[in-house]
Formats: sequence, structure tokens, C-alpha cells
Amino acid sequence: MLTFIIRRILWGVLAMAIVIAITFLLFYVLPSANPAVLRAGRNASPKTIAYISAELGLDKPIYTQFWDYVKNIVLHFDLGYSYYSSASVTSLISDRLPATISLAVGAIVVTLAAGLPVGIISAIKRRTFFDRASMSTALVFVSAPTYWLGLIALYLFASDIGRFKIFDSSGTYVPLTTDPGRWFGSLILPWLVLAAGSAAVYARILRGSLIDVMGEDYIRTARAKGLRERRVIMHHGVRSAITPIVTIVGLDIGALLGGAVLTETVFDIPGIGRLNYEAITQSNFPIVQGTVLLAALFIIVANIVVDIGYAYLDPRVRPT
Amino acid sequence: MSQLIKRWVTPGLVLGATAVTLAACGSSSSSGSNPNALKQVPLKAGESPTGQQMYNGKKGGTLQVYNQEDFEHLDSGQAYFSIDYEAMYATERPLYSFMPNNQTLASPDLAVAQPVVTDAGKTVTVHIRPNVRFGPPVNRVVTSADVAYAIERGANPNVANPYFGPYFGAIVGAENSKGAVIANGGPIAGITTPNPTTIVFKLTTPSASLLIGALSLPLTAPVPASFAKPMDAQKPTTYGSKYLVATGPYMFKANPKTGAFLNIGYFPGKSATLVRNPNWNPKTDFRPAYLDQIDINIGGDQTVIGRQALAGNDTLQNDTPSSTVVKLAYQSYPSQITFTPGSGDHYMAIDNQHGPFKNVNVRRAVWAAVDRDAIVRVLGGTLVAAPMTHFIYPGVAGYDQAGGAAGPQVPWNVDTAGNLATAEKYMKLAGFPSGKYTGTSTIQLVGENAPTDVARSEVEVQALTSLGFKVHTTFVDQATMYSKYCGVPAQNIDACPAVGWIRDFADPQTVLYVPFWGPAIVPTNNSNWGQVNDPAINAAMDKAAVVVGAAARAQAWANIDKMLVNDAVAVPEDFDLQPNVEGKQVRGIDDIWDIGTWDYSFTSLK
Repeated sequence: MLTFIIRRILWGVLAMAIVIAITFLLFYVLPSANPAVLRAGRNASPKTIAYISAELGLDKPIYTQFWDYVKNIVLHFDLGYSYYSSASVTSLISDRLPATISLAVGAIVVTLAAGLPVGIISAIKRRTFFDRASMSTALVFVSAPTYWLGLIALYLFASDIGRFKIFDSSGTYVPLTTDPGRWFGSLILPWLVLAAGSAAVYARILRGSLIDVMGEDYIRTARAKGLRERRVIMHHGVRSAITPIVTIVGLDIGALLGGAVLTETVFDIPGIGRLNYEAITQSNFPIVQGTVLLAALFIIVANIVVDIGYAYLDPRVRPT
Repeated sequence: MSQLIKRWVTPGLVLGATAVTLAACGSSSSSGSNPNALKQVPLKAGESPTGQQMYNGKKGGTLQVYNQEDFEHLDSGQAYFSIDYEAMYATERPLYSFMPNNQTLASPDLAVAQPVVTDAGKTVTVHIRPNVRFGPPVNRVVTSADVAYAIERGANPNVANPYFGPYFGAIVGAENSKGAVIANGGPIAGITTPNPTTIVFKLTTPSASLLIGALSLPLTAPVPASFAKPMDAQKPTTYGSKYLVATGPYMFKANPKTGAFLNIGYFPGKSATLVRNPNWNPKTDFRPAYLDQIDINIGGDQTVIGRQALAGNDTLQNDTPSSTVVKLAYQSYPSQITFTPGSGDHYMAIDNQHGPFKNVNVRRAVWAAVDRDAIVRVLGGTLVAAPMTHFIYPGVAGYDQAGGAAGPQVPWNVDTAGNLATAEKYMKLAGFPSGKYTGTSTIQLVGENAPTDVARSEVEVQALTSLGFKVHTTFVDQATMYSKYCGVPAQNIDACPAVGWIRDFADPQTVLYVPFWGPAIVPTNNSNWGQVNDPAINAAMDKAAVVVGAAARAQAWANIDKMLVNDAVAVPEDFDLQPNVEGKQVRGIDDIWDIGTWDYSFTSLK
């Protein structure tokens, strides 16, 4: 098991290195704004632009810039500085990370709390009204774009502009440490919006997987042994059926921690996603690279955790 | 200042819905029997800021501002963006500033009176008030040396003020004989301070009128050298990004001992807080500064924040509301929306040097073919735009002299709905007997990927294809459009839609000079996007630059405007109006002299 884990980690490091290289190349190959021009500001003279280019190291060959960048990360954990504000990328990311973590973790909790029970009940009560209603609703939420869903949620339920003034509106986010009550209230709608699509997917996948598992011989054996139906379903059925969900949860957590840019924009939550989007529009490469690295790190770590969890849940996949 | 206030429409909204619906409510038409004529939608009572009551407001209260876009620079030496300007003119005191209602004459702000011009326009003397103090942590009286330092630091590469060259370059010692800036942040010989309340500018040319106009820009707001100089040695300066000191009625909330405001009064991308400057003396200032505090929320969806502004009490939206919010406000909240004319214009820059548009008759043909009324419709109708007919826009001196709303009555300009017959006539004059382009070039058009700009471009592409052109369109984000394509002459982009230049102060030179003067063409960050380089126009501009007197300058630049129209140097799109939305209990005052956005120093709560 230890060898398995170490191997997974080493593959993860290699994946990170590839992500760094690809992001670096994409920034230079695909059309994007000239960061020295943007930093210099409107109507800046060519002399100013050249000066800033030199200050930012943009006049060096690409391979030199790449080598300097990798060296800074590996040796100093230095992600560089924003071209605009000169603030360190590390500080910008760490400032925004709590908001993204708040959004991601909450959304996953709501996703699992809603998606799993619906999936289980739909599988057990197949073809009933509940099953049909829940799967139809799930289809709607899977199809609805997150941005649109967020706007609709605000227009229906926001305390200032909503028809039914129930939940806190856009722009009300405060950090947990500032006011836990307001923090929680400001995230209810974003959690629900972000979780809607994922919960729908989980419900549908778990339903399908559980229906398959409940037809297996060992389930019939468990029933034949006289176990209560609840124990048969939860201890034998769900435990086998949930492995695909474990994989998806890991990927979803990783992706959410990289920043749910649409949700953060609609609800005005100052997270990593919005930081990344603003940096892309400003061609603020150090921030783009930093946020992409962070997202990649989360996904790779999540995958490693999922693989280990998978091995725990299903002994068949453990290395011998 | 470049036209970089985007007229946003959020994804999913139907463009033109505002125009279609509101046009039906209009009571007049621009052409009696033409069913497709642009219908003028009347303003309701209170929706025009002209004649707004700037004084007698209620003191106190906290204003909640929603701002989708973040500030770019809060250093008065770097700020060159409309949203930055709102903070600048609330927290700093340049030598001169405009009253919200006055588009033509700046009032003495830090200065005590209008400047004195001597030496046939080559010397400008300004006397400053003796009792204006810096806010914390500096806390002392402002002197003329602080103003001198503020202007000189504009040439420091770590500050890199974007308009130092064009407006302050004529000061002795600022530029060399070839027009290149040689000042680098140190003392400039042509700026002297004979005593603590007097500053004298000596110029190499009799361009006092232009310099006087520029004295209303934020660069002239005083900066204490002892405080800022160590910061200005950093690359880039940390003054304005981490530390600030104010002279205006408000200041960014900051550490009173150090002046550090980052993560105290300003959280980039999140919020900002303006509080009263404890050292501001209302007896020295024409600003009433009613509000106690201004809380600025940065980010969010434009439609959502517009609705939040309308639904709230002490709220307003700072940037341009989306067309659905404009429609909602016009129909359901008429007392909470204003439309400020003269907030700029848009046109399509076309390459005057290369390709098919090198021919003046081809340019005239394209001008004639473009349906400017359709552009106004896709932008939201006559509440927010009017067909553009020449290059000085409403509110800028010289607009009326250049032809006003109708513009010069040349054949390619008279029909704002586009006239294919006229266009084909000019194509024939250009050497295409069929009236259609029969060459092999494909027009390279690069535009911004914002929905309104794409919609504008579609109207223009339609006009081009109707004249036989093949068009290859590329839509990118605004920053890429300017810095990698349209601002780089070597890219040979034939057409760049939706560009424009907002006046820097009440002088038409600030609208026409940079985008249309030949020597302004530079290899990168070029703002003469059409590479206009007509010797006659250049000479006329050089002559007009040194004309003295507002009326004479207005006429001189109006004549140049007519030359630009005659040469069809670009293809006009629209004159902009600025819609602004506010909450129920807000008495918002618009800066009519600027692009029409809110003025924090005059706004109050009911």
C-alpha cells in the first residue's frame, strides 16, 4: 500500500510539471494581450513599455523566463508578482482561498446530502412517482447553466431583489472569521446553485449503479441470511454502488477548489475563480499560472486521495 | 483618455430589446413616413441631469456603491481611467477641477484663481490656496513644491504617467528638441516655485491654453516629496498601491500613522471604503461633501448589481448598467435613472495607410454604407446613443461649429441609416466600375468580444460585404484587441470597431489629437489606430494646438473635424449617453463634464 501511495505521489509531481510547462507555453502561443503594455497603462510611450518589459523580464528568451519561474517555485515557493499591483501571487491566492474553500466544501456537503439519498431512494423505489419526479428534476438541473441558475436564484430568493426575500443576496459574503452567521447566510444560495447540477449527476449515477448492484448474487445471499432490508441496502448495496461517486467527488472537490468562476461572479464572492478570470482578462500571467497550478494541485491531490479511498473500499484494486 | 468604458450586456440578454420596446413608446420619429426611422424616446422628468441641483443636499449617511470593475490606479500620477477619476476627484485636489454641471470651464480647486498667462502664451503662473492641508499621516499645509513634485514624478518611469508627454511635454526641460521626454522624475527646469503658494510653468511653445486645460488632471494634485519619494524609487512605485495621502474631502480608510491603505481601505477586487479626510477644510473647497462614508463593493454581475442599486435605498451603481436594467429603470423607476449626454463616442478605425482603405473614396463608401441607426438600436436605442456624424462629440467645444447633431452635410454623411447607392457611387470613384470591391484583399477586422461590440461589428461587416468585401473577423478581449492587434501598426489590421477617445478636459484637441495626428503613430500601444497621417491635417493640428482663446480653439478644431470627415479617416458609429441608476433615497449628481458618471463629492442622501 505504501508503494502504491508513493507511486501515486510521484506521478502527481510529474503531472504538475507538465501543467506548468503547458500553461507557460499556452500563454505565449495563443493570442493574449501584451502584459507590459497593460502594466504601462493607456497611452504609454514605447520607452515606458520597453522599460517595464525589462523590469518584468519579458524581454528575455522564453526558455530563460521558464527556467527562472520554475526555479523560483521549487527553491523559494515564490509564484511571482502581479504585473499590475506588484502584490505577491502567493498573498493574493491565500487571501482569496478561504472564500473558495468555503464555497467548495459547502457545495460538496449539500451535493452529497441531497444527491445520495435521492439516488438511493430512486433506485429502491424504481418507477414510482418519486423516482420519476426526482430524475426529471435532476435532468433539469443537469441541463441548466450554472450562471443562469444563479441569476434565477437571485431574482427569486435574494433578500434585496428577489421575489421571495428569503436568502442573502449577491455581494454579502464575509469571511467566517469576521461573522460566522453572515458568512453562513451569504453562502446558502451559492451552495444550492453550485450543488444543484452536481447533486443531480450524483443521484442519477448512484441510482443506476445501485440498481445494478441490487441484482447481484451476494445481495440475494444477504437477504437469504435474514438481514434486515435496510442493512442489505446500506451495508452491502450502497457500499459497492458508491465507488463511482467516490471518484467523481474527488474530481469535483479538486475542480471546485480551483475556483467556481461563474458562481463566484454571479454572487460576487472574492474567490480563486474570479481572481483567475480577472487575471486572464488582464494578461496577468503570474496570477494565471499560480491559480492554474493551485487548481492542478487540488485535482492531483484529490485524485490521489480518491485512489487510496477506492483501494480501501474495494480490496480488489489494492496492489498485491 | 481612451474609450474603455464598456457598454456591457450580460450573457443571455437579448440585444436591442430595450430599443424595440422603448421605441414603441416614443412619440416622434426622425423621418415622417419611414417606418424604419430611428424613433426618439423622450426622457421623463428628472432623467436629464442638466440643471441638477448641486447644493442644498442633506449632510451625513453612508452611500453603498456597486462597481463591477475594479480601480486600475489610485495614484494620482498614474490614474487615467474613468472609475479611477471618481475616486481621484473625491480624494485629491488638482489645481483646477470641473463643477459637475460645467463642461467648459474648470474652477479653481487647489488654485485660488484662474491662471495668469504671460510671455505670449509661454508662461503660466498659478497661485495656490495657503490653507489646504494634507490628510494623515502627513498633516501639513500643501505648498507649491508639492504640486511641482507631483507633476515631475509623472516622468519617473516607476510612475509613468500616460499623459505627461502630450500635455506637459512643452514645459522647458521636459522634452528634447525631437519631442522625446527627457525628464525622469527629477526637477524640471521649466517648473519653478518662487514661494510656497506660487508655481510657474515656462513653456517652449506658446501652448498655454493646452497646459491650462491639463492643470485639471489628477497629475497636478499635490504629492509630498518627503513621503512619496522613497516609494517612487520602487519599481513600480508603491505610492498609490500601498500608501496614499489625500487632500480632498475624502480619503481611503488607512492607517493614520503610516498612510497604508491596502487591505484597510482598499481590498483589490473586493471593496473600498472612503471616509472623511479629517484635515479637509470645507471653507477652501467648492465641494459640499455631504456623505460621511462611501462603501464601494467591487465585482458581481452587472445586471444583478444594477437591480440591487434600484431596489436599495442608499445605493447606486457606478459603472454603466446593462440594457435590461436601463429598460427596467426607465419603465419602473423613472426617478432613479439619469441619462447624461456627451459621454463619448465610438467609431471604427480603418487603416488609412495600407490595403483597400488607403483610398479615400473607399473610406467614404464604407462610411455611407454603414447603418448608424442600426448601431444605435443594437446598443439600446436613443436613450443611450445617437448616430455619430463627426468626431467631436456633444458637450465638447467645437461640436456645434463642426455641424452639431447632423454633422457636415457631405453626401456620405447625410443618411445615418446607410445609403448603398451613395456608397456604390464612391466605390466607382475609387476605381471599381461595378460599385463593388473586386480586389483580392480580405478585410482583417479585430473587435472586442463584448456582446455590444460584436453587435456593432455585425452591422459594419454587413455594410462591408454589401460593397463586395470579404471580411475575416476576430473577436478577442479588450486588452488583447488593443495591445496585440489594433495598437500594433505592424499587425496591419484593416478595421477595429468600437474604438474612441474621451476628452481629458474641455478642449477639443484632447479628443482629436492623439487618435488622428500622424506623428502620434508609435510601434506599440498606438492610439492612432487608423494610422491617419495626412500632412494637411497634421499641419492644421500643429497650428490649432497653439491657438489661444476658447472660442478660437473651438473653431480651429471644428475645422479640423470637418477635414477628418472630408477624408473619412474612420467610420462613425455612435455618440454615447451615459445612463446611471441610483437607489430610492439617493440624490445622485452626475459629472456632466466627464463621461457622466456619479460625483461622490456632490451626491447626498435624501
